Amino acid sequence: MITTHRLSKLYGRGLYALRDLTITVGKGEFVFLTGPSGAGKSTLLRLLLMKERPNEGEIIVNGHNLANLSRSEVQEYRRGIGFVFQDFKLIQRRTVLENISFVSEVIGVAPAQQRRRAFQVLKWVGLQHRMNAYPQELSGGEQQRISIARALMNDPALLLADEPTGNLDPDLSLEIMNLFREINAGGTTVLIATHDRELIRLVGRRSITLDQGRIVEMAEGHASVTA
Amino acid sequence: MRAIDYAFRQGWASLRRGGGSTLFAVVAIALAMSVLGGLLLVTWNVERLLARWTTSAEFSVYLRDDATSEQRGVIEGLVDQSGAAAGREYVSKEQALVRFRSEFAELASTAAGIGDNPFPASIEVRMQAAAETDGRADALLKKVATLPGVADVRYDRAWLAKVGAGLDALRRAGGVLALLMAMAAAVTVAAVVRLGLHARREELEIMQLVGASLAFIRGPFVAEGLLQGGFGAIAAVLLLWGGFTVASASWGPQLTAALEGVDPQFLPARFCALLVAGGMLVGGAGGFAASRHAV
Repeated sequence: MITTHRLSKLYGRGLYALRDLTITVGKGEFVFLTGPSGAGKSTLLRLLLMKERPNEGEIIVNGHNLANLSRSEVQEYRRGIGFVFQDFKLIQRRTVLENISFVSEVIGVAPAQQRRRAFQVLKWVGLQHRMNAYPQELSGGEQQRISIARALMNDPALLLADEPTGNLDPDLSLEIMNLFREINAGGTTVLIATHDRELIRLVGRRSITLDQGRIVEMAEGHASVTA
Repeated sequence: MRAIDYAFRQGWASLRRGGGSTLFAVVAIALAMSVLGGLLLVTWNVERLLARWTTSAEFSVYLRDDATSEQRGVIEGLVDQSGAAAGREYVSKEQALVRFRSEFAELASTAAGIGDNPFPASIEVRMQAAAETDGRADALLKKVATLPGVADVRYDRAWLAKVGAGLDALRRAGGVLALLMAMAAAVTVAAVVRLGLHARREELEIMQLVGASLAFIRGPFVAEGLLQGGFGAIAAVLLLWGGFTVASASWGPQLTAALEGVDPQFLPARFCALLVAGGMLVGGAGGFAASRHAV
């Protein structure tokens, strides 16, 4: 699903966020990216979302080299990706239902289809009863579930999450992780950046540890192997 | 189609959220369009007067006192065959004197003291409006002036040309002023739309991340500019109409007299529509410029 080859991202003079990074994430896999702050986890997600471009190396997603995509191809590529952020990025002046259907509306999906899918994903995250509430009326856990529902709206093949439990307590974090596991069980490739090693241990999936832009450890489930 | 629908729904919502800043942009466009509309109103009415003068244009062929009836016949024949004249009338010396006495009654006593009738006979030729522009009037004039029996030819078009040129200059100066004001209005619209854009920064980021097309991302800002421009221009038309109504009610007879009997008229619907379209264009340009910061 995702292959990076000798990927480097440079910020400023000699300050590498990623350096010679080569990783592979298979289709339908659930992988954690971990490491301390500044390790390069969020940078890799930004490169995968094409919010930024690498300085060197290449990224292949679903057989497409991201460097060769035209503007319209980038739009098409992004429609196949769901994303979840630590700060939820919900639009405060829109209701829950509007926040979710918005992502389908702006890619031109018919209104009836938008509503049908929005109800479906809201039901799936168990918040259909809060569809008319505004984000500020929801708890942190509820907001993150809405954010996940929004990420699922366009039925993505790949789901990227950047510290999705960073603002949540341990119980809620596990609840959110269970949602990601269910999403993954449906065939969606999931890549989550988190510094919470305890959570990774509890979920028990493959993890890639970065430090200063390089891979320092690759672990399969509970069995940890130092790179 | 969905992108257009989305753009106008969001543009309208943003317009309503804008409050005071939106009002500011609408007023800026209204001012620019009022200047342009006022100029159109003045030139439109003066042009109607000019058109009347042009259609009633005449030239006079003054005959020598010793001109024979054959010579007069040749002149009249040339005028008739030219195809440039809409009609002609022979004014004898006696008729010219009678006309002078009736038109200038206060000078009638002066004319009475003159022994011989000093007024020459003439042929007054009414020209076709088309002959003015295609040069046939000038050609006829030159031919007639060389014919025997002709003392003088008066074709006083220079002043009409001067009025026309003055009107053109007014139109150009007003056009430049309106253009400058329109540019200032577009900049104002752009600034106001950009304020809304900053408020929607997070929404725009999400739109880009989910793969929204440029039409969805930038469209609402262009639509907001179009709406601001349209409302500003409608306000300008209403303002002009109000001003025109008040002026007509207060100084109607004086205005009609100033226009030599031509009743002043408000801009025709097509000009009003053009003003609204112009306002929308100015607003849309401002919105488009602002939307470039959305991606």
